[in-house]
Amino acid sequence: MAQVAEAPTLEVEAKAKRGPIDWWGGHRLTFVGPLAFIGIAAALRIWMQGNAWTIGIEAAGDSFNRTYRALFYGEIIAATVATLWWWTYLVRKGREIVDVPVPHEVEVRRIAKFWGLISTTSVELTIMASFWPNMDGAWHQTAVRDTALTPAHIPMFFLFFPMGITLTVGTYLYGRYWLPKVYGAENGFPWSFFLLISASVTEMMQVAMNEWGHSLWITEEIFAVPFHWPFVLYGWLAAGIFALWAETIIRLLAIEGEMEAQGGTVGTEAAVAS
Amino acid sequence: MADTGTLEQDQQLQQLRALVNKQYKYIDRKWDAVFWISAAFIVGAAANITLLLFAGDWDFWTDWKDRVWWPILTPFALVIIGSALQYIQWLAWRFPTGMTYTGICMWFLSTIGRWLQWGNFVWYPLNFVWGTTMVPAGIFADWVLMKSKSFIITSVLGSAVFAFAWWVSNYVMIAPYLQPAQWMDRVLTVSDIQGIAYIRSQTPEYLRIVEHGTLRSFLGETQYVSIVFGMTVTIAGYWIGQFIGRMLAIWPIGRFMKKW
Repeated sequence: MAQVAEAPTLEVEAKAKRGPIDWWGGHRLTFVGPLAFIGIAAALRIWMQGNAWTIGIEAAGDSFNRTYRALFYGEIIAATVATLWWWTYLVRKGREIVDVPVPHEVEVRRIAKFWGLISTTSVELTIMASFWPNMDGAWHQTAVRDTALTPAHIPMFFLFFPMGITLTVGTYLYGRYWLPKVYGAENGFPWSFFLLISASVTEMMQVAMNEWGHSLWITEEIFAVPFHWPFVLYGWLAAGIFALWAETIIRLLAIEGEMEAQGGTVGTEAAVAS
Repeated sequence: MADTGTLEQDQQLQQLRALVNKQYKYIDRKWDAVFWISAAFIVGAAANITLLLFAGDWDFWTDWKDRVWWPILTPFALVIIGSALQYIQWLAWRFPTGMTYTGICMWFLSTIGRWLQWGNFVWYPLNFVWGTTMVPAGIFADWVLMKSKSFIITSVLGSAVFAFAWWVSNYVMIAPYLQPAQWMDRVLTVSDIQGIAYIRSQTPEYLRIVEHGTLRSFLGETQYVSIVFGMTVTIAGYWIGQFIGRMLAIWPIGRFMKKW
């Protein structure tokens, strides 16, 4: 019990409506994370509306260098810095807290946050695999494909693709240190994360083959050409995300079982309402 | 014996009902909501990218929606993720809804893509670039699973029903564009004229020749041959989806690499 008493120093005690399973408590990241990525995608899309057909159409122009190439470098730098900062934080903070036992309430909140990270990953991968590819097809089939850094590629391949790696690896690190009973190092490396992380990494690597293929065989854009297919095959690996939901809901059920065994905190409407 | 059987069924029902209505401290319907809404994004995206890169060109434009390849490639591409979700939802909840769920999720994301990118970015009219729907076909395939409770039967019968229902439901949308029209003294379809009027400067075919090769010898039967062949390849697509559902989504649950 003394160990459990240390837990409140790790995470803020719940305020009203901020409990482990309240929408604005443990589940808050489910809204905040996806909305952040949707906001970035929307901002870039709106910016593209005013610049793609005037500046983006000519990759050799000075104005392209000042805008689109600047955006490209900005994205690479921002994604790298954000990724390194977040992963470093997760590892350093994680090593401090991983061995400190926590009460069930805190673990449940962590599972809710973990689900928030999965939601964020799901939305991010959607923007990466559906929203921008539609722009990519529309632009290349109708306008121009004169460089690897076309307007459609810059947000898709060089921001949302790498951020897919950032999120999948970051979610694993969170699971490894914040949910050690599920993803602790002593359990080994989970196949679920292996598949999900593989999906994001291989998608990024496929960008190189895509550009190489376009430069070698055809400059025109036919979407169903075979050298595009690996994007799909690698994307299927992301099915591992379903295992993440399952693994953590199993832990949630185990927590309920442990609580029931400890003293009957389960079974009433009042308990749920509280 | 019948009474005993009924009694056992009642008891089983009571037990299941008690399990469903069991009150927990931390497990409530919010988890369901988070799961179903979050999964909708990645499911829709997976179905959308599979369609885009396996059959996209035949689905982007009305004049590419031909009688030769469109009825083969599109149901094959669509059934893959639908099949995976059918397996996952049937295994986890006994919900015969995976195909329909996938169809709705994909339709939502696909429509956003067509509207914001094809419509409002490169300025094609949406009646030229509308996307296919798999919702009616998905309902029929889910119905086959519900009645048969068998993935093998669903793969054979359900896939065939899926491909056929997909064609019928989408033919309703393409039919107006197959009407004959006169264009520079030639008889073309309305969709051909759309393809000529709205230039795609980066695609190699400025005017798509729909019917070519020996399929011409089938005269008006071409589309029926394609539909039946489409049913066949859709069965293959169904099992690719089963592999994704079984081996990539469900098998990894609780499995760890001890050494790596």
